[in-house]
Amino acid sequence: MIKEMSADRRGAEKRVLDAYAKAQELQPKLNDVITFVDPAEQLKNLPEEGLMRGVPIVLKDNVNTKGIRTTAGSRILSNYVPVYDAEIVEKLRKAGAVCIAKSSMDELAMGGTNLTCFTGPAYNPWDTRRMTGGSSGGSAALVASGVVPMAIGSDTGDSVRKPASFCGVVGVKPTYGRISRYGIIQYASSLDHVGYFTRSVEDACMTLKVLAGRDDRDMTSSNKEVPDYSALLNADMKGKKIAVLGNVVKNISNTETVKMFNDLMDKLRAKGAQVDVYDFDEAIMRAILPAYFIIANCEATSNDSNLDGIRFGVREDGADMAEIMTNSRTKGFGPLIRRRFVIGSYGLFEANQERIFRKAQKVRRVVVNAMDACLKEYDAIVAPASGNIAPLIKSNEDQDALSDENLIAENYMAMANFSGYPSMTVPMGFEEGCPIGINITCRAFEETTMFDVAQAVEDITGYKDLQAEVK
Amino acid sequence: MEEKKDREYFRKLAHQLMFDLSDAEADSLVQEFGTLEGQMALLDAVNTDGVEEMIYPFEADTTFVRKDEVSNVISQDEAMANVEKKLEGHFVLPKVVK
Amino acid sequence: MEYDVTIGIEIHCQLKTNTKMFSGAPTSFGRKANTCVNEVDLGHPGSMPQVNEEAVRKAVMACTALHLTIDPLIKFDRKNYYYSDLPKGFQITQQFHPIGRDGYVEIDTAEGPKKIRIERIHMEEDTAKQFHLSKVSLLDYNRAGTPLIEIVSKPDMHNGAEAEAYVEALRQTLYYIGVSDCKMEEGSMRCDVNVSIAPKGAEHLGTKNEIKNLNSISHIGKAVDYEVERQKKLLEAGEKVMQETRRFDEKTGTTIMMRRKEGNVDYKFFPEPNIVPIRLTEDWIKAIQAEMPELPSARKQRYERDYGLSDHDIRVLIANKEMSDFFEQVVKYTKNAKSACNWLLSDVSAWLNTNEKTIDTCDLKPQMLAKLIAMIDDGKISNAQAKQLTDDLMTGKDPEQSAEEKGLKQVSDTGAIAAMVNEVMDANPQAIEDFRNGKDRAVGFLTGQVMKKSKGQANPGLVNKLIKEELQKKIG
Repeated sequence: MIKEMSADRRGAEKRVLDAYAKAQELQPKLNDVITFVDPAEQLKNLPEEGLMRGVPIVLKDNVNTKGIRTTAGSRILSNYVPVYDAEIVEKLRKAGAVCIAKSSMDELAMGGTNLTCFTGPAYNPWDTRRMTGGSSGGSAALVASGVVPMAIGSDTGDSVRKPASFCGVVGVKPTYGRISRYGIIQYASSLDHVGYFTRSVEDACMTLKVLAGRDDRDMTSSNKEVPDYSALLNADMKGKKIAVLGNVVKNISNTETVKMFNDLMDKLRAKGAQVDVYDFDEAIMRAILPAYFIIANCEATSNDSNLDGIRFGVREDGADMAEIMTNSRTKGFGPLIRRRFVIGSYGLFEANQERIFRKAQKVRRVVVNAMDACLKEYDAIVAPASGNIAPLIKSNEDQDALSDENLIAENYMAMANFSGYPSMTVPMGFEEGCPIGINITCRAFEETTMFDVAQAVEDITGYKDLQAEVK
Repeated sequence: MEEKKDREYFRKLAHQLMFDLSDAEADSLVQEFGTLEGQMALLDAVNTDGVEEMIYPFEADTTFVRKDEVSNVISQDEAMANVEKKLEGHFVLPKVVK
Repeated sequence: MEYDVTIGIEIHCQLKTNTKMFSGAPTSFGRKANTCVNEVDLGHPGSMPQVNEEAVRKAVMACTALHLTIDPLIKFDRKNYYYSDLPKGFQITQQFHPIGRDGYVEIDTAEGPKKIRIERIHMEEDTAKQFHLSKVSLLDYNRAGTPLIEIVSKPDMHNGAEAEAYVEALRQTLYYIGVSDCKMEEGSMRCDVNVSIAPKGAEHLGTKNEIKNLNSISHIGKAVDYEVERQKKLLEAGEKVMQETRRFDEKTGTTIMMRRKEGNVDYKFFPEPNIVPIRLTEDWIKAIQAEMPELPSARKQRYERDYGLSDHDIRVLIANKEMSDFFEQVVKYTKNAKSACNWLLSDVSAWLNTNEKTIDTCDLKPQMLAKLIAMIDDGKISNAQAKQLTDDLMTGKDPEQSAEEKGLKQVSDTGAIAAMVNEVMDANPQAIEDFRNGKDRAVGFLTGQVMKKSKGQANPGLVNKLIKEELQKKIG
């Protein structure tokens, strides 16, 4: 799609304007957009050449866009206009992509439902009674509903890969440092990744080529050369060794999903791949979500300390600095993240850090070591990206937070954030008319292998350019 | 001397973070804290003897340092663009008592 | 009751770099508010730090000059707290892995030279500047992000003089190697002094009081001595010393409480996740150390060896680097180092003071000062006459020309002077009698008369000599 679009130079303006119109048309039903971006100016300034010339795209609203409001889904930033562009915005502009909207997200990226945005919930285009998942829900939905072929998200625990599953799109989290985080409003710096959604693996390859590369402004970004992912794409599975994450499959109670997944594994075997069930230590698997929760909350509480209403953001009145800060942060932050900040702060207290924060960081290493042991023998780790289709919004009661199903089956994908290894979700099948995806994780900087396996799955399922009809 | 993890405790913590919690929110936290303790138990079930904390996903150190040349400065207008109260190019706050 | 006095000092020094510690915005002093900032310095969402190479280099130089062991793996941590001058809500610092540990500096005390140990030096970033008006406070972020090194001493000092000497030794060293301007009055060097006292021989240290807002080195000794006395008085009256932060009041020469210290703040230090540890190669460090400018201690030794100046003179001369640099220029043109030093430290310094200039901003040329010294040494003019030429000299005039214009010439012709001596003696027979009666001041009186007669142009040394000879002849 992207390649054809950028080749079609004469169709650029109409294509972009159509996308813009469609986004506006769907907004009342989906509520996936926080800020619409009139593309007129960008269309005037399209570069001569570009891998994404004239391709309409959407940016998650934690991506700083100079002169265009950027809110990170939080009321405290509802009036914030950045004075600089994120690195990826500059890259996308050079490639000729045209941004038509800033998309809805969980507040400050801290959530998995996309129900906490200050502009209200984002709705799933496959079934608007259901959530998109989060925190990059708006971006996932705008790709799934066919508005744009590519949308930027961010993934700290699974915030691209989960909504990709719920929305039936390709969701990629590349290796940590592969894409510069400069200008992405931070959630948890050691776990944050820039990610993106497309409707085909081919488009995913092209997108990574545009986004990847060293940025000296982000000291954690990688100096590694960026391969030509599109040219290297090869779905031949002969000789590929794939490990099925046994613990996840075992803990999914939805038998339909398990069958769907196992059938897919058989088909991969038929294509020549060696597919084995690989079990991690159950105690390690159970510890992933807690470790993620602690590390993320602790880092987030620090990262969001700059949101005080003094130099930018919504400032409430007060008699002095302390009152202004307190009033601004109380009114500006939703209750969920205020609670998470308190927990994060608690974990960072000198007296608690060894027991809480640093313990979680040690468990992180144990998890990564376990992944390394697996990836020594196997080229990829796969499992369903979720056990079920997107939950109904109304029924979002607290699942049993400490059940194995919740811990292991629904929240294991943070492993790839711990390790920084590349991980992506592609659609796997449907239940009740709604999609579920499969998650694929490979070794560091081996996106090519990951894309290869994903392409093989796409070839098997035929789920390319899946678009939801919004009813 | 372990402080009791009650509503007042969490309100105090919140205040240190420069925001307030309502009664309901503080009560919610008391509950969430219980969940946290459950999560801690799951962490403790993993043996981390002799394991070093993992601070970064990739631990190769870098030799890169930025050259000491002016590369990025914004104008005073841009610096002040996101506030309403300004005075001769300064950000304005009501009097700070410290 | 005798007391042990324990003093520790923390110094924050701004590093002389073009840009900030973690961003490519320019460092500034005295620029218009909020014109030397970017999104990083303002703590805007999504901004990330990039470590300044020159700041690291200067920190390495500081560690080298002060004999610290350098950690070649640079790691940064976050210090978390909320304040209006802290844009990110945390400061990036080096809590767990300072760049240098375990150094020292030597000071001179009444009991001889003493080593004051330095516990650590670490890099961090400065905060914004706040101005308080009556109803509002104003924030200027130009200073936010300026590179700092924090130098923490061990509590090795025991009185105000030692504290002052320590800070002065640090200032000189850091200034000489070009790491910082070290101007307390401008804020590029800031001192916090911790003072506690305890009964002599006591096991535990007393309660620490912190003195802040010292604006000049000369205040340090006064502040410390006052504080020690204040604490002694409290203890002697049976009262407790409370833990406080105090400021020095110049006018009264006392320390005044700013705030009580309430428990310890928990800064929740943890490693900065956006900065991967930076490895300094041994070659890089060695190259920096090989290029280090001369340290004041080395310069002191060199002066002792090459110029035969007194200890005191060397110390005063070296204390002002520009003056000392100028001295070295002057002695390229004259061998009389002592005279050069004297001139610089007395007449030149006095003139600079009066005219509010520095050695670098006046028009004095090294060759001209050397010429003046030669004129005196050759007997062409007297010292007293030379002093009359100071103004001209300092404004760039050639002293020979100046002397010519002013008609200042020293008469050193023995015959001419002898004639004047005889005239004066004939006119003052009482003086001769006084001398015969053992009153030596007659010599001075007669000398003065000859100088008057010669309109100050007679060579005073020669006059004195001839008068003494004549007097001896007359009485003998």
